[in-house]
Amino acid sequence: MSVDELIDGYLIPEGSVDELLEDDGQPKAHVRSLVATLRRLGPEALAAAGLRRDAIFMQQGITFEVSGSNGERRDRPFPLDLVPRVLTASEWTVIKRGLAQRIRALNSFVDDVYHGREIVRAGIVPWSLIVSRPSFARPVHGVRAPGGVYAHVSGCDLVRGGDGSWRVLEDNVRTPSGISYVLENRLAMTRLVPELFAGQRVRPVEHYPSLLLEALQAVAPSPEADPTVVVWTPGPLNGAYFEHAFLARAMGIELVEASDLVVRDSICYMRTTAGLRRVHTIYRRLDDDFIDPLEFRSDSVLGVPGLVRAYRAGTVAIANAIGTGVADDKAIYHYVPEMIRFYLSEEPILENVPTYLLSDEKVRRWILGRLHEVVVKPTSESGGKGVFIGPQASADELAAEARLIEAQPELFIAQELVHLSTVPTETGNGRLTPRHVDLRPFAVFGDEIRIVPGGLTRVALTEGSMIVNSSQGGGSKDTWVLDDGDIGDALPVGIAAREPPRLPDVRYGGWHGQSQQQQQARS
Amino acid sequence: MLARIAQELFWLGRDLTRAEHTARMLDGAFHADVVGGASGPGAPQPGIALSWNGVLAVIGAKPPAPGEEAAEGAVAEAAGYAPPGMLGRHEIAPLLTLDTDSPASVVSCVYRARQRARTLRDVISAEMWEALNSFYLSLGRYDLEAALATGPYSVYQEVKERCALFWGLLAKTMLRDEARSFLEAGGHIEEADMVLRMLRVASPAVDSDAGLGDSLQDHEAEALALLQAVGGFQAFRRHLRRVPTLASVSRFLLYESQYPVSVLASLEELRVALETADPMPRSAPPVLRLGRLIADLELQQRTGRASESLIEKLAIVQDELEVIDHEIDERYFAVAAVAAVHSGV
Repeated sequence: MSVDELIDGYLIPEGSVDELLEDDGQPKAHVRSLVATLRRLGPEALAAAGLRRDAIFMQQGITFEVSGSNGERRDRPFPLDLVPRVLTASEWTVIKRGLAQRIRALNSFVDDVYHGREIVRAGIVPWSLIVSRPSFARPVHGVRAPGGVYAHVSGCDLVRGGDGSWRVLEDNVRTPSGISYVLENRLAMTRLVPELFAGQRVRPVEHYPSLLLEALQAVAPSPEADPTVVVWTPGPLNGAYFEHAFLARAMGIELVEASDLVVRDSICYMRTTAGLRRVHTIYRRLDDDFIDPLEFRSDSVLGVPGLVRAYRAGTVAIANAIGTGVADDKAIYHYVPEMIRFYLSEEPILENVPTYLLSDEKVRRWILGRLHEVVVKPTSESGGKGVFIGPQASADELAAEARLIEAQPELFIAQELVHLSTVPTETGNGRLTPRHVDLRPFAVFGDEIRIVPGGLTRVALTEGSMIVNSSQGGGSKDTWVLDDGDIGDALPVGIAAREPPRLPDVRYGGWHGQSQQQQQARS
Repeated sequence: MLARIAQELFWLGRDLTRAEHTARMLDGAFHADVVGGASGPGAPQPGIALSWNGVLAVIGAKPPAPGEEAAEGAVAEAAGYAPPGMLGRHEIAPLLTLDTDSPASVVSCVYRARQRARTLRDVISAEMWEALNSFYLSLGRYDLEAALATGPYSVYQEVKERCALFWGLLAKTMLRDEARSFLEAGGHIEEADMVLRMLRVASPAVDSDAGLGDSLQDHEAEALALLQAVGGFQAFRRHLRRVPTLASVSRFLLYESQYPVSVLASLEELRVALETADPMPRSAPPVLRLGRLIADLELQQRTGRASESLIEKLAIVQDELEVIDHEIDERYFAVAAVAAVHSGV
């Protein structure tokens, strides 16, 4: 197979950079052997591996539900693209440091918001903006989370712009999902296309459940050596239920629903066959609004009455902490670089995408004048819902969006359009075409911040599209961080290479010796 | 029952269990190889003793003469070939999976099991025979070499599933009689032997601390490889809810009677099987010796203290198991063994 057949007509979109190939179609230095292997495999082998992938994913139940055109819902295998996205060790070091810095600042912000409000008094973030956020949680005012950690699990979305630099597009410190796909993707890749790994050292990701469990145990309010940690899911109908079950299984802990938990005398228990058993840490995968009908939405049937009381009493740790969502609101995002300077006295390592709050009269005029160039997002939505992309909108859509903004400007932010980088992606028949990607690395904050190398690369499978959410037709890629000998992220290295011990040979036995068989056959 | 039949049943159980364990180990070694990448020119994985050479050592098989398959230069290395003298994925995986000349290979084990089953068709249930026969046929049906090159996972998956099918049908369709006991005894003794071998290969040779001490802490990669090689990751996690360390995993695989593949659990099952098969188990040397070994292990598990280091302990248990194996030969198959020697001449 020639490279031309594989990437025939590969055209990198104007304004974007490709992460694997140069403009002339030659592979970049760090992926030369990978691209050579892809060439050797050719389109047929890639397409065949794709079929095996779908079969394995269906069999293992790694699927998500989509609604067909006629409204019927059915399971589709999770779309994993077989061409990995590759980051060099030095690139990763910058991302890792930048994220750790950002998460420390966001964590300090949450603590500050519910306690001293230093940042408000310093005149950096307006109090009126903070209290008007839907995720601001009055019930936890003055409650310090065990260990002072609020954002135990975070997944910030990063993008790489046309200049090649990494920027943070969105913070996500509520219940970011996707880590199960990172682990399943890696496992699937090693099974489907082991050839691609030859000659490279890719940093492992499979220790994430161990990191998470250690962090959750570290924040448990318990003098006992063996605290009980549970994963709390809204239930099997939730879209991310697969991930909840995956994490519970990988950590070997219980997956509970609301009806399994009960609060007595400000202590949280789970109902077991051996009676009530105390729970020390809850890794919850549902929003604040639903967790306690006594304090938040009274119509929530998914919640545990009294849980916030137990939390206030300090008998149970909740990850992520209640009220953390205030830090990842899209309107607060604007202030994160300032937060980093304020709390840490450091310059941000990762920049924001330039963002404008539309509640300001002057800014709004200016943005409305150039609506066809920017991206507008509702502040309190997630999952790519309601995102308006100026350059791709018709005149009617522009006018409609302008009316929406004029009506309730405080509900929207505007961002400069980032030309997301592209990675070659298999789009039928084993041929590769450029598709836009983002990156969601996952960080765990227990005693310290640990970040799993790589993260979830989401890819927009529609040509030219920059919306990568899987609910909007996005897929994913395995994300490799190459190892250059720096073992900072690697698993603890075991014993040095050595000769295995000599064991006695295995025995072979039984009645029928070979010579006897031959005689029998001849007779 | 006939000594010859009992012996064939016993070895049918052993061969099938060996095939399954070998497949699981190879799958684990393959995974470790792929995710570990090329750590150096053909060097064994640092920290992963259950790498290709490790698997070879577990089986006790002889590697082919070094340099036989001349793989030259960097190209071969990049493609996963080891330099001469160092065996890697491309030599050992086929050798232990497909090679019909190598008695240790998965295919050879299944072939032998099927040959034995042919002579036992009146003893085992028809469904068991069909399961085993179609297993054997499926291995010849498609191009295994190509399958191994592109996706060995599916090959090993099939081996695991077919073995599970056989044992599942046994549980459902076979009378709980002497024949079944010998078949199960073979499976259990092989299981104990294989797990002991794996533990011996995976454990550090220098083990300063007495027993399972701190010196074994934190060999996480190794611990994961061990669990992977028996398919016991989830069982371990549910049992201990802790990050697997080599010490805790070794203890789990040796002593944990709740876990069906642990050495202790296999030995207990073996005892049950022999006690069912033997008309006079109280005077049977293998049963008595087995009882002492089990009591010894249980005592160590409870006190958490052993007078020897882990590596010595494992060697002692395996030596003892070998004696038990010979005593089983003596007591039940001795008549048959003599006949086999005679007819083989």
